[in-house]
Amino acid sequence: MAFCTGCSLLCDDIEVDFEGAKVKKTLNLCRKGRAHYDSLVVDRLAPAVDGSEVGIDEAASKAAELLGGAEKPLLFGWGNSTLAAQGAGVRLAKKLGSVIDDPSSYSQGLITEKILKGELPSCTFDDVRNFADVSIFWGDDPSSSHPRHLSRFSYFPRGEKRQRGYEEDREAIVVDVRKSPTAQIAADGFFKIPPGGDAEFAEALMATLGGKIPKVEDKKRMLNLGTKLRKAKFGVIFTGLGLAHSRGGDLGPFFTLVAKLNELARFSVIPTLGDYNTRGFNQTLFDETGSVNSVSFGGGVEHGPEFGIAKYLDICDAVMVVGSDPAAVLPAPLAKKLSEIPMVAVASQRTLTTDAAKVTIPIGVAGLEAEGSALRSDGVKVDFDAAVESGYLSDVEVIERITEAV
Amino acid sequence: MAGKKEVTVVTYRGIFQEVEEARGMYSDGYRDQSAILDLDGGDAKALGVEAGKPVLLENDSGKVVVVAKVSEDPHPGVAFMPASPWSAQLLSGEVREGGLLELKRFRADVSPAEGAVTSIEEIRERIGAP
Repeated sequence: MAFCTGCSLLCDDIEVDFEGAKVKKTLNLCRKGRAHYDSLVVDRLAPAVDGSEVGIDEAASKAAELLGGAEKPLLFGWGNSTLAAQGAGVRLAKKLGSVIDDPSSYSQGLITEKILKGELPSCTFDDVRNFADVSIFWGDDPSSSHPRHLSRFSYFPRGEKRQRGYEEDREAIVVDVRKSPTAQIAADGFFKIPPGGDAEFAEALMATLGGKIPKVEDKKRMLNLGTKLRKAKFGVIFTGLGLAHSRGGDLGPFFTLVAKLNELARFSVIPTLGDYNTRGFNQTLFDETGSVNSVSFGGGVEHGPEFGIAKYLDICDAVMVVGSDPAAVLPAPLAKKLSEIPMVAVASQRTLTTDAAKVTIPIGVAGLEAEGSALRSDGVKVDFDAAVESGYLSDVEVIERITEAV
Repeated sequence: MAGKKEVTVVTYRGIFQEVEEARGMYSDGYRDQSAILDLDGGDAKALGVEAGKPVLLENDSGKVVVVAKVSEDPHPGVAFMPASPWSAQLLSGEVREGGLLELKRFRADVSPAEGAVTSIEEIRERIGAP
């Protein structure tokens, strides 16, 4: 069996035949996973300095020179890196006395940090498949972002205590601003909220659970939802960016609601994380520093929003981006700032970020061309082998080469 | 009658966009699945915009030309757009308390356009990537 690192479900039941690096036949891959495998022959990155192709050793040496000569370097990315590369990245950050951060500083880092601190109850996907009778998708559309989420774990499958699957044993509830593909599956379980209306929805649900009449248009429907949640035996809330970004990231009402739900029934939270090993980076950094992102090793260990990429771009003088494409995601003014800073990009494919980099270093795609380990977004560790041979170095080999040369 | 209307744009990730991104972000397929705006039917009619036609999205942060789609479900005053380098051109980069960036929502004027859809190469130049 092969693995898929196309998303943070890390599917482990993939069968694939290759003809060279090209996929010939596959079994069990979703549409997104198949595209991930097909990407092995698309826009592969070459080692380069200032746009001119060089050998990998020269590129690694230039990267070390650039980072070692900087006063305030930033190491960013890591969600599409193996656990070994993430660990090596933290060691490099310590050696450089640099800042290290990942996209969770502007997405679901707060939720993951609360889970790791034990302040927010969570569970595994296997628990969900075996026991969950209510799955709530809040600002989250896994049918698009994690296509096998519902079929492997959260809605359709039969499990140990859920032998009748979605037909009788499970309920899907979707809270979202649009009728997403997941909302279409949930049908009657879809609760449409206005943009930024998450806090009001959470407060209305809190009122319902507290025996009050909710201040919403359809009171009867909200009361019915409250009754369903009270009766749940094993509820799970899957969170997406829609929730994380609502109201400028104020998740207070959501956390209060989760606490209230747990007075009445068991409810867990699992963030639906985009990159395949975001949870791994958050765990790795948390184990080392007690924080999941935005950490400076400049003078001891410091953590704070000033060390998140959004603010640190104002003062840093060198950046290394590993397995991420912030130039495509960040607001244009920040992407422009990033492009103006001397940058090393370690990636498998050409992106806007690699185009803006002074030094580019190619790596093999983890799980497809390189072995490694990662944490699914529920925190379960998955070890994977390479599915096909390639001439690329792995991510950890590249980070360690740079570290040695610094 | 063609006009201009301010809408709240909410971004999302679509499966077809994710597929095309894996196949190369400089591909026509990635542009076709990213440079789109789902408009409410009533809003589209008021703007004189038909599905498949270009629209200009602009605010103080920037502007892009994308292709209009018209939703079956009503959502007046709100439009949806895949999160991508195209939507990122309209984001301010303002950092909120706690360091969180606003990436999911922005206000922008939408109006019918005649020009071509903004290309990824143009965006690359705008952000200063050589």
